[in-house]
Amino acid sequence: MLDTTVDNMIEEKPKIIARDVKVVYGDKEALRDVSLDVMDKTVTAFIGPSGCGKSTFLRCFNRMNDTIANCRVSGSLIYDGQEISAHDPVTLRARIGMVFQKPNPFPKSIYDNVAYGPRIHGLSKNKADLDGIVEKALRRGALWDEVKDRLHETGTGLSGGQQQRLCIARAIATEPEVLLMDEPCSALDPIATAQIEELINELKQSYSVVIVTHSMQQAARVSQKTAFFHLGNLVEYNDTGDIFTKPSDPRTESYITGRIG
Amino acid sequence: MSLKARQSKEKRFQFAGLAAISIGLLCLVMLFASVLSAGLPAFQQTFIKLTFNLPADKLDKSGNRNPQEMKKVSTIGYTKVITEQLKLNLTKAGLEFDQLSKKELKNMISKEAPAQVRYAVLEDPSLLDREFEMVLLANGRIDGYYKGRVTKKSAELDVMVSPKQLELADQMKRAGILETRFNGRFFYWPDASDLRPEAAGLGVALLGSFYMVLIVLVLAVPLAVCTAIFLEEFAPKNRFTDLIEINISNLAAVPSIVFGILGLSLFINFMDLPQSAPIVGGLCLTLMTLPTVIIAARASIKAVPPSIKAAALGLGASKVQAVFHHVLPSAAPGILTGTIIGLAQALGETAPLLLIGMVAFVREYPSLSPEGIFEPATALPVQLYNWTVRGDPAFVERASGAIIVLLVFMITMNLLAIVLRKRFERRW
Ligand SMILES: Nc1ncnc2c1ncn2[C@@H]1O[C@H](COP(=O)(O)OP(=O)(O)O)[C@@H](O)[C@H]1O
Ligand SMILES: [Mg+2]
Repeated sequence: MLDTTVDNMIEEKPKIIARDVKVVYGDKEALRDVSLDVMDKTVTAFIGPSGCGKSTFLRCFNRMNDTIANCRVSGSLIYDGQEISAHDPVTLRARIGMVFQKPNPFPKSIYDNVAYGPRIHGLSKNKADLDGIVEKALRRGALWDEVKDRLHETGTGLSGGQQQRLCIARAIATEPEVLLMDEPCSALDPIATAQIEELINELKQSYSVVIVTHSMQQAARVSQKTAFFHLGNLVEYNDTGDIFTKPSDPRTESYITGRIG
Repeated sequence: MSLKARQSKEKRFQFAGLAAISIGLLCLVMLFASVLSAGLPAFQQTFIKLTFNLPADKLDKSGNRNPQEMKKVSTIGYTKVITEQLKLNLTKAGLEFDQLSKKELKNMISKEAPAQVRYAVLEDPSLLDREFEMVLLANGRIDGYYKGRVTKKSAELDVMVSPKQLELADQMKRAGILETRFNGRFFYWPDASDLRPEAAGLGVALLGSFYMVLIVLVLAVPLAVCTAIFLEEFAPKNRFTDLIEINISNLAAVPSIVFGILGLSLFINFMDLPQSAPIVGGLCLTLMTLPTVIIAARASIKAVPPSIKAAALGLGASKVQAVFHHVLPSAAPGILTGTIIGLAQALGETAPLLLIGMVAFVREYPSLSPEGIFEPATALPVQLYNWTVRGDPAFVERASGAIIVLLVFMITMNLLAIVLRKRFERRW
């Protein structure tokens, strides 16, 4: 079947190639020699007990670790054929968007929240253009219908789940290629969580999504690839189905069966 | 401890707290009562309304109404004419004044009046030889008589006023020539010499204070905000920045007079700026206000959740963009509140201004152009101090009036700060 081969080819193309990535905070080692390929148009989940370095690794991709004073990253991270450290952080972060654990909309209007990225990167030619970008981002963030009549009310007035979808819409308004999500549902109720998971499913049509989660059910529901971290090591990285049904490492097995965590 | 003992301990504590608050409130009430009762009369003044028909042969000897030549007639010449006019007015009203000496009659009217009339005539020479009405200040002692400061009994011992003058004043009041009413000039007239408290006003002081607050606003706020942003967001955390931080807190606790000494040696002796000028006062007050505003600005910048900055950085904003687009606007209400409190502090500060010569007697308004900040002026609190040390009780009354004006400014500014804080308060 021609279709599946094409599909497979796209899936097999790595978006980010990490080799022997090591991160230290001061003299404390947080991540040890991690190597992994993040695939395009795929949802990759990072799981593992808390403090094992999932967020730290995620922050390497968009150089957010640069903003932490005593954090040092070594090893190789290739994005778009170039070392991430050689990319300009400003353009890099426009192409690799991030959604944080706690919804953090700007204390401005819903419209201005979404329009901020396109504005600073000069993505729109005029007001009508920007209106279009904002609407498209809010539609893809599955929030448009709920907020279209109150675009100029403040974003902090929305419910937690709406705020997080606003943050997702804000991140995708700059048309990134990769979307990093650090436990995006940990502050949300089950209904809002389901909405976000549905959204992630939509987003993988066009983006490569990397999601950190402490919920194995969530990883199983949304991701195609799963990486299991333990004490700063990448223990296992495989298709999600394989990780959950036939883990190759005993540590992975004990984690998914709930013996460590 | 038994439950009962615990409860009674709690009761005692509550009672102590209530007592403390009551004492505080009582003191506040007493303060306001004394300031208001002493100061409110300053907003009233006793005036004498006269119908003038000024003789041109005395005030314009050349007769061609040329102000240049009319200037030759001094205020002494005008004093004589005014006294004559007063007599005519009294006669017309059917009042007796023979029992008063010439000097007593002359002194019914303020020593400021001749200058006032002379100025009006030189402005408009056509006033001569025709009837017009003019309202003149009454002598300060007569004014004091209607405010309870002077009595007929005290007048017997007073060289400045006699019971006969007060008797005439009463008659003039009944005839409608003399009245005590609101005196707007208190706010815009300049200071006056010791002999004419009735003419003294806050004009120069208000203008000087306004200039200085403006200078503080223009200099201290940008400096303080930039310092705060740099220290909070950009400066590396090392010994040197720690030292700067500690010193800023220390500066906030330095007695204000020290800033006066610094201003005297730096701005006047070294930089050769003029004495008594708002520019020097403004610079001293800027130095004094800076630490306060820096500390307030840093606190409000620190209070902005880091997640906001992270969100901006995550979208590809540069550090400067993140700070100026998001952190600063969120911190702005707090910075504004700190600024207003700093300005109120600067407005009420006296000590450093005494040292740089702003205590001088200034009767000329500084100009309204920007050069005005280099011309001599006084300031509200200094003017107030100045009046309290003069002998005449009329000046003490005016000082209390000035306190009310100062307090009104202070309360307004602090209320503004509170309103802004309430209005922009954010819950994250
Ligand atoms: N800003 C930081 N400074 C110092 N240590 C940190 C910092 N952030 C994370 N760490 C440490 O790095 C390790 C990994 O943290 P993190 O990546 O946040 O774990 P996870 O997201 O998997 O829970 C932890 O031991 C944590 O204490
Ligand atoms: Mg984490």
